[in-house]
Amino acid sequence: MNRTLARSLPVAAIGVAILLPMFMGDYPLQVARNIMLYMALAVTWDMLLRSGQISFGIAGLFGLGSYASILAVVRGGMPGWLSIPFAGLFAGLAAFLIGFLILRLRHTYFSIVTLALGEIFRIIIHNMHDFSGGPEGIVVQQGIIFGGASRNLYWLTLAGLAVALLASYWFEKSKVRFALTAIRNNEISAKSSGVNIFRWLLLAFVVTSAIQGMMGGIFVMSYGFASPETVFSADFTLLPLAMALLGGIHSTVGPILGGLLLGLVSEWLKLQIPYGHLVVYGVMIVVVILFMPQGLLGLARKTMRAAGRNRK
Amino acid sequence: MIYGLQAAGLYAAIAIPMGLVLGIVHIVNLAHGEFMMLASYATYFTCKALGMDPLIAIVPTAIVTAIFGWIIFQLTIRRALKAPELNQLILTFGIAIVFSQAINLVFTSQTYKMPLDYVSASMDIGELTFGIWSFVFVAAAILFAGGLNFFLKRTTTGKAALAVGQNPKGAAIVGIDVYRTYGLVFALAIALVGAMGALFLTKSAIFPTVGSPFTMKSFCLVAMAGVGNIPGILSASVLLGLTENFLRAFRGSREWADIVFFVLIIVVIMSRSLKGRKS
Amino acid sequence: MTKLKTIGLSRRFLGLVAVNKVSFSMDEGEILGIIGPNGAGKTTFINLISGIIMPGEGKIEYKGQDITYMPAHERARLGIARTYQLIHPLENLSLIENVMVGSIFARGHSMREARRRAADLCGELGLKDLDRDTSKLTILEVKKMEIARALANEPEVLFLDEVMAGLNADETKDLIATVQRIARERKLAVGVVEHVMGVIRELTHRVIVLEAGELIAEGPYEEVSKNPRVVEAYLGGAA
Repeated sequence: MNRTLARSLPVAAIGVAILLPMFMGDYPLQVARNIMLYMALAVTWDMLLRSGQISFGIAGLFGLGSYASILAVVRGGMPGWLSIPFAGLFAGLAAFLIGFLILRLRHTYFSIVTLALGEIFRIIIHNMHDFSGGPEGIVVQQGIIFGGASRNLYWLTLAGLAVALLASYWFEKSKVRFALTAIRNNEISAKSSGVNIFRWLLLAFVVTSAIQGMMGGIFVMSYGFASPETVFSADFTLLPLAMALLGGIHSTVGPILGGLLLGLVSEWLKLQIPYGHLVVYGVMIVVVILFMPQGLLGLARKTMRAAGRNRK
Repeated sequence: MIYGLQAAGLYAAIAIPMGLVLGIVHIVNLAHGEFMMLASYATYFTCKALGMDPLIAIVPTAIVTAIFGWIIFQLTIRRALKAPELNQLILTFGIAIVFSQAINLVFTSQTYKMPLDYVSASMDIGELTFGIWSFVFVAAAILFAGGLNFFLKRTTTGKAALAVGQNPKGAAIVGIDVYRTYGLVFALAIALVGAMGALFLTKSAIFPTVGSPFTMKSFCLVAMAGVGNIPGILSASVLLGLTENFLRAFRGSREWADIVFFVLIIVVIMSRSLKGRKS
Repeated sequence: MTKLKTIGLSRRFLGLVAVNKVSFSMDEGEILGIIGPNGAGKTTFINLISGIIMPGEGKIEYKGQDITYMPAHERARLGIARTYQLIHPLENLSLIENVMVGSIFARGHSMREARRRAADLCGELGLKDLDRDTSKLTILEVKKMEIARALANEPEVLFLDEVMAGLNADETKDLIATVQRIARERKLAVGVVEHVMGVIRELTHRVIVLEAGELIAEGPYEEVSKNPRVVEAYLGGAA
């Protein structure tokens, strides 16, 4: 009975997610889009984290994908829909090249370098006035995707999230899980079991970066606009991180759960306090790290285990 | 050239306390610059209310921030000392967000600046005219480096701190209270950063995210110098300050000056880690 | 048949010689003890052979192939496996999944095949209840799992770094018999680092003695233990 429930729950969730636009107005749909976007970023951040590498560069790859997409459309005349996979491809390729350099780094060094890379992308875009539009940003003049219909944009974002979830599911159910878990636990003993550490890290880094870039493409195509300050915003690093931590790391469900919760809370807070609502995220991160490092998911597991023991 | 040196002084003075924390407590404090930002805000509003000069406020600010740093350490960082590095990193990252966003919440993103006359004092050497006030940062950097050196090598508490930094277990065996020492060192570092916050206010405008670049730059400089190498931080700062200002001097490259630092950080970290791997 | 051979293998750390010009060989089906006082370089020696660290000088040959500078994961695929003195079971993976890792990556088996082989291996070693969390295992079970993880590579050369440490007399006896049976059935060349001389005497066919990184004696345990240089090395270490 428990198992059927566990099976039917995701199916129900998918159904609801697909049908949602039928019952909702434009504003709630936009909120839902935002939340799904952050969820996808949170899941991909977690996917790399499963190897023990903490990236602070989500915003960097997201922004890179955003600009790849919008520049392909505006400067290259690419159709909007095609620019989205192109953004993913571009970010993935960039990650592949960068990966050769930075995946030899560990711990704090890796994290700081990913953060620095994001800043470098931002400054380059910012300074290439003629090509990228510079600090003022760049606008899609005509042929905005789906004519801006919010239902379609919702489904587009949902599709992006689905890609992230499928990738995460693949990471969980295949050899990738064994490789990343072994690397996270102890690289030396992983090597002794024949794990080619660099190769698996590169795979994880490229896949997650490509999805982050693709979400950037979806984001700019939805709004038809990109500027360095919006698409490289620290929010795109911060929020996914907080969501994954709150929900519970090293899983697919955790970041989704955390994303749903924090996304709704923040949307509400944004209306209440226009400045500094992000403080909630900071507090959340600190509290989660100090008091429930396993996140809500870990907490739930613990309670269930305790309940099970009591029943016996 | 001269501006480069002055910038170097500022960088070094802020990076040195971070080096201290990393060297002894072994924590990368990603809220480092945010502590300075908080100190600047505190100084600004106290001085404004009392009509005081920020310079007079340096010492009181240092004391207040030291206490604040101690409290933050006890409440948060202390609990994460034994946790994996991942948790520590994310924790201080979270603290940084809390600080900057709390300020954003209260004071919004508006900038504040202290109008002070003596700051614009300048000096002529031949045809060159330059502001002399910023040399105060160079002085502060040298003072910090010298003072810490004295503290760590000549005083009992300092020696104890050094011992804890090198071998916490051994230090505990000979009767040093490791956690107390960590707390003290952390508070001391935050005090220095706090003093810099007051000093920084004399020259620059402040806003909620004014501190975060300094966190990055400090980390970069400490990484460049190598953990526990305080004189190294001075020379690394000079390098960074000079390169940045060199690029700023030319119209064509002005906007690229910011990138120098990020490129530098990557180059330095890469070369360090590869060298470390070989030996 | 010679499986593994080193010629003048050396490695220094910051000027300190950890392993100094060690030449030795291991044959199929042989259990070789690697002994010596603390800090003699035994673990460094195994690290060199398994590729965890790279040598400064010398040569390592595996079945005639030069593997001196080959990366560790490739050596694992060729057939060199080892256990670690400090054991780190992989958290978030169950007992059987821990064992599967080597099968998947060193042998390239599919997940299903890896699971089947891991189950066989665990059965052979007497491990039960394979879906358990590794934090629930007894010391003996952890040690057996560690050996199973190494065997999952389907190696021809196996190094055991202090697998008997922390076990009581009965458990030690059990594990000695297990190792002997495995080595015989698979025709493995096994290198064993142990501090307890009783274990070395019972388990090994031959020993090599390291002192300050140098190989000072070689031969059957009974013979080597009477060698004056060896006695002095141990007594010198004690005094």
